[in-house]
Amino acid sequence: MYPSGRFFVKPTMLLSDVILDNHLVLLMLEHFEIDFCVSSKTIGLVCAENKIETGLFISICNLYNGFSPSPQAHYSLKDFSVIIRFLKKSHTFYKSDKYPEIRGLISQLLNKNNSNEIKLIEKFFDEYFAEVTEHLDYEELVAFPYFCSLTETGEHSLYNGTEKFSVKEYHDHHSDIESKLADLKNLLLKHVTLSNELPLRRKLLFSLFELEFDLRIHSMIEDFILIPLAEKIEKKGLHG
Amino acid sequence: MDKSRLNIGIIEPSHIVFEGLSNILVQTDFHCIIKRLYDLAELENPMMKVAFDIVILNPAVIQNKLKEFRRVKKNKPSIHWLGLIYSFYDQEVLSLLDDVITVLDTQERILQIVSKVSLVSAATSLTKNSEGLTERETDVLKQLIKGFSNKEIADHLNISVHTVMSHRKNITQKTGIKSQSGLTIYAITQKIVTLNNLPPHE
Repeated sequence: MYPSGRFFVKPTMLLSDVILDNHLVLLMLEHFEIDFCVSSKTIGLVCAENKIETGLFISICNLYNGFSPSPQAHYSLKDFSVIIRFLKKSHTFYKSDKYPEIRGLISQLLNKNNSNEIKLIEKFFDEYFAEVTEHLDYEELVAFPYFCSLTETGEHSLYNGTEKFSVKEYHDHHSDIESKLADLKNLLLKHVTLSNELPLRRKLLFSLFELEFDLRIHSMIEDFILIPLAEKIEKKGLHG
Repeated sequence: MDKSRLNIGIIEPSHIVFEGLSNILVQTDFHCIIKRLYDLAELENPMMKVAFDIVILNPAVIQNKLKEFRRVKKNKPSIHWLGLIYSFYDQEVLSLLDDVITVLDTQERILQIVSKVSLVSAATSLTKNSEGLTERETDVLKQLIKGFSNKEIADHLNISVHTVMSHRKNITQKTGIKSQSGLTIYAITQKIVTLNNLPPHE
């Protein structure tokens, strides 16, 4: 999944060079709400203009290039709200962009070839999407408010209605989401035989790969940046 | 010979040696995909999606980390470990590896060693990916998609829960599919069940 041979991104590099090397970085810019027309600005400059800590930007950008964040990397409280905003933006991308796109492609496929197999794929995807939506809602209604209250007040016994945030539940959801997506790709590549419709099926597969890529980075940001930062605040308090 | 794909990781601090070895390896009959690794920890990194068949390492990177190496080796049983030697090492270090290449070996000798371990892995990967499930795995699959638990399946088929779990693991390995709904679609496309004899949807 991760393109090999990518370079490790540094603040002095031109952002345009990074995009030209790996176009999937555009997804990241969209989640950061940074315009794609980056002239010949360095990463450091783009970060300053958009009020994003360079260290955080570099960590996330390198995730897109296939390098996991260094455990020594230091993130600050200021990063917290930026990360949450980034994750919320990616939710919008999944819910209003990627999933409808995939759903649309499956419908088109069904129109061309009304077979039982595709109907089953459609049903599989709908059930899967319902699960994903449930998880994204959980993040927005339980997890993110928990993290926000943590940074605002240092308070970490927040109950939201009846649900309490749990890191374990968070992890279980993620692995479920990733494994069903893998199931779908495997079904289309190995088992469901369809005749023709190659362009449509290619679009569908590209979409699935792109979604999988971004979802994986999404959960790595949570696992390697957000949760460790939250745990640090829980342990040491806001000014520790 | 089957030109199966070999994922080879090389942990070697010297860039010159790494480049030289890669150059030799890509000339084998195998489809070698070579990735340079910087330390053992990279193998356990969740970002690492590559399942390595062979890891060639300079024993210097493990000689002070034998405990870590034993753990990685235990967690990654499918990897064949080759040492790349250009100085003296303690026998204890070398005994942990499957075989060694020395920096003075001829090209033929290196290819021979790699072919030897890769033949083993080609054979295992062939059985791993072999099409179709066994009769017993098919029985388990049919029960699975009816929504029975491991315990129930064990009772119905008169086998142990442990055996059921091992069949399930093989099914997932062969089909690439984990979820019950995904397996149902698989079973239908393979005509193991038909739509009509599926249980009514809950």
